[in-house]
Amino acid sequence: MKVNIVDWHGVATWHWKLASNDGKAGYVDELCGICRVPFDGTCPNCKFPGDDCPLVLGRGCIHNFHVHCILKWLEQEASKGLCPMCRQVFVHDPEDNPHSEEFEYLQQLEDGHRLLREKGETTYEE
Amino acid sequence: MLKIRQLQKKKLEEAAASAAATADITGNSSTISSNNKITPAQLRLQKDITELDIPKSIKLTFPNSSDLFNFNLSITPQQGYYKLGTFQFTVEINGNFPMDPPRIKCSNKIYHPNIDLSGNVCLNILREDWSPVLNLNSVLIGLNFLFLEPNPNDPLNKDAANVLVKNKTLFAKNVRDSMRGGYVDQEYYDRIV
Ligand SMILES: [Zn+2]
Ligand SMILES: [Zn+2]
Ligand SMILES: [Zn+2]
Repeated sequence: MKVNIVDWHGVATWHWKLASNDGKAGYVDELCGICRVPFDGTCPNCKFPGDDCPLVLGRGCIHNFHVHCILKWLEQEASKGLCPMCRQVFVHDPEDNPHSEEFEYLQQLEDGHRLLREKGETTYEE
Repeated sequence: MLKIRQLQKKKLEEAAASAAATADITGNSSTISSNNKITPAQLRLQKDITELDIPKSIKLTFPNSSDLFNFNLSITPQQGYYKLGTFQFTVEINGNFPMDPPRIKCSNKIYHPNIDLSGNVCLNILREDWSPVLNLNSVLIGLNFLFLEPNPNDPLNKDAANVLVKNKTLFAKNVRDSMRGGYVDQEYYDRIV
């Protein structure tokens, strides 16, 4: 028998690499704690999942968020710059995250909170 | 150190400008816009409401069914000092939810260490310990817990807190008297039984 391939469709799927399943094979269905949408979906302000609405991988802790979601939280002074899940100081690893406007802004917010902390303008519990 | 404030100010100005623009087009600036565009706050709140898993002692009522952001809440504790009283609250959620916590006020004047005479509630997760990963369910459970275990530390009604610490029998009596509607220490409380 001879088969002639007349047409074919390539199919691919993608998933974010999450800090919490880093190194493990397979896919873990997890939600962004802030907007409660799966990580592979978008934050409520975006239309297209993927590079347009990236995830941020926490460095101090193992919590992930849509970068747009964590930005909104860190913009609040009440956030004290803490991770909403574990209340440790939120820092991301620039090595592990793309260079883009969003991540520059994230760095600015993290730095801002750090300065506030150092100046002791607000009381921070450790 | 002012970076955050500056950035925030810029963002707020932009938001205000776009809100004003929307208001011009639609003629109103209510939280539910007329062009069916669902806001992030609405999206998240809808999820929170569908996922509610609360004890029977808590009831929600929506006076305006198209407005999820403002509703009433009643708590009828099944045990503890406040057993079988029914306490009314108003819940107000703003467009910045879940970055801002829900605002919850007691509509009755009640005798409680953690609720002042104007109805302000002292519950850490509604204030300094708020986090956007908390949901409506955790807030309601927390509020319910205040009636099961009133907390004399960090009180809003210091007199009530002092009595709770010093004399539990007197506290129980004061709660009963206040719930029937009447005076406790020259202060009149609403009848809520
Ligand atoms: Zn998110
Ligand atoms: Zn996004
Ligand atoms: Zn964390």
